[in-house]
Amino acid sequence: MGVRITGMGIVSAIGLTVAENLQALTESRSGIGPVQYLEESEGLLVGEVKMSNEALRQELDIAPKGISRTSLLGLKAAKEAWGDNQHNSRLRTGIISATSVGGMDRTEDFYKTYLGNNNPDFNILKTHDSGSTTERIAAELGISGYINTLSTACSSGANAIMLGARMLLNGKLDRVLVGGSDALTKFTINGFRSLMIYDDQWCRPFDDSRSGLNLGEGAAFLLMENEKSIGISGNKTIGFVNGWANAADAYHQTASSPEGKGATLAITNALAQSGIALSDISYINAHGTGTKNNDLSESVALTNVFGEHIPAFSSTKPFTGHTLAAAGAIEAVFSILAIQHNLIFPNLNYQTPIVETGLNPAVTLQSETPVTAVVSNSFGFGGNNSSLVFSNHI
Amino acid sequence: MYYISAASSITHQPTFQNVGFSAVIEPLRESSVLLNPDYKGFIDAGLLRRMSKILRMSVACAKDCISQAEIEQPGAIIVGTGLGCLLDTEKFLNNVLTIEGLLPPTAFIQSTHNTMAGQISLSIGNHGYNMTHTQNTLSFENALLDAMLLLDEHGDNILVGAADEAIEFLNEISGKLHFQLTHPITSGASFFILSNVKNVNPLACVKDSRAIGLVQHVGSEVHAFLKENELNAEDLDLVLFSGVGGHISGGVEDVFENLGIAENKSHNYLTYSGIYPTTSAFALHLAIDKMKTDKSLRNVLICNTFIQSNLGLTLLQSIEA
Repeated sequence: MGVRITGMGIVSAIGLTVAENLQALTESRSGIGPVQYLEESEGLLVGEVKMSNEALRQELDIAPKGISRTSLLGLKAAKEAWGDNQHNSRLRTGIISATSVGGMDRTEDFYKTYLGNNNPDFNILKTHDSGSTTERIAAELGISGYINTLSTACSSGANAIMLGARMLLNGKLDRVLVGGSDALTKFTINGFRSLMIYDDQWCRPFDDSRSGLNLGEGAAFLLMENEKSIGISGNKTIGFVNGWANAADAYHQTASSPEGKGATLAITNALAQSGIALSDISYINAHGTGTKNNDLSESVALTNVFGEHIPAFSSTKPFTGHTLAAAGAIEAVFSILAIQHNLIFPNLNYQTPIVETGLNPAVTLQSETPVTAVVSNSFGFGGNNSSLVFSNHI
Repeated sequence: MYYISAASSITHQPTFQNVGFSAVIEPLRESSVLLNPDYKGFIDAGLLRRMSKILRMSVACAKDCISQAEIEQPGAIIVGTGLGCLLDTEKFLNNVLTIEGLLPPTAFIQSTHNTMAGQISLSIGNHGYNMTHTQNTLSFENALLDAMLLLDEHGDNILVGAADEAIEFLNEISGKLHFQLTHPITSGASFFILSNVKNVNPLACVKDSRAIGLVQHVGSEVHAFLKENELNAEDLDLVLFSGVGGHISGGVEDVFENLGIAENKSHNYLTYSGIYPTTSAFALHLAIDKMKTDKSLRNVLICNTFIQSNLGLTLLQSIEA
């Protein structure tokens, strides 16, 4: 079983297009650095998209006011994924996006002015709600009908891909843009700081010395089509999503269980659904945030599922930062790139295995062995765990 | 066919654990308040202290549904919310902008949209599919569609619902933006158990549902929806719709008139629920309650026309004896 992927688009700290992201990944070039665009304390390490709102608006030809950075980033990635496709009355086209902050970037500007009694513009708040960020992207692309937004914290992007695949398989849509977008905000930066899991240094997933995450921002979208849609569009298939699963950890609102219960269920069920044997998985793009808790729990889950034979795995978050609701979508694009180009991306900053589990992620770029099937993990607050399986065959 | 085997709502009306409420409720007054049950019967006292309004409402309704349906665990938990956890979001945003140094994390932890679904899974130890939809006024319909899709696939006894909470600041926004709302801004949570088998005592069936964003022609969409479900407008025994204005030419009332839906069969449910993004979940419970007491109601349409660009349609049918 599989659903065809025919397009993809991405904007992240390491590039403004799929090609730029691929190049940075192969050159082990991280996009994490001291904050430049967001007004935050000097030296804070973040994975910012290297483009101002003004530049994004100009490129996307958007009027100067009334759009959040989350919508701008999402629109940029969605446009790349959509490409030259045309609307067609015979095809039911939908869009499912994921976001955790919605238009919070603009709400923060508003609220600061509001608290200072400086005649704030209440119209700004019309872009606050998460659903409006997707509606804006849909409107710009001319998509109407099934427009939906998922918000399950850091697993949101993976869930959007999962829901899109289910909608196609069940005959509810003919093609669907699926993905996620999140802009950096003071809200999330200070939120992760309040939890004391924001690393002031460059994040080190799966390293014993890891001490937290660096936040990033970005967006990614995939275009998925059924056979009827491909018959009309003539699009070439670039990969397949073959398996998906979503499970609740039900352990703690923000922490993952030490035995990796939810993660184990998500990976196991996604693999079972894909019909792909454990031994045929070439690469795992891990959630690997760099927090003590996630990386230990995820390592335990990988051991639970794969035993002694864990495939090559890495976290790409030292490249992009943790992009929250966009992470699952961004890492889905990386998974497809891994399959297209037979690549296993390095887990930057790794030196010492975690004492309890002793797992070693891939540390250098590998391009000699074929990559045919990839597992991508996304785990989040609220115990929301999701895993996806991508491959080069149906 | 999707059977509803439990329904539970905490709102500004006496809806909670009160079968037959639809016969006694009156249009909401401006001064109405949320009618909170005694949450201690549903939530551990330690947890309760930290929970905001929207979390208490959601967890209590979820537990009530599970007990009504007499099930151990739902197969999945699916929640729709238009604006999410506003109390904690506002609180944490305020802290971020006014306090220097380390902030208390609780408001941040509880600010994410998936806190309701997460807290429900935590409180009952559920490891199933867990999802949160947030699509403005169509958040509930999108959650319901996800539940129906899961039932088509393999799931059973899906807990599906919606919740939104009011904060004082919403009234200020409404005033500044001259919304001229005809109903008060309120809070509400409604949850249901949806099943694909006819359990002991099903309340009603969901025949079909649709969520249409950036809708162009409401009239033709309603017409097409009825046609696909092999119904004519005159087959509808009740239509519950939402509209924030008075009668506006070209508004939903005119659409119904053009479709041939008698005026005395249609009611604006916002009159009873007040205003929040997921009131169509309230309408679903209202419809179920009416159908339970009035057996002449066989086909009921919920027409969510709360905001012009979004259309939600849900068709309910009574259970055949």
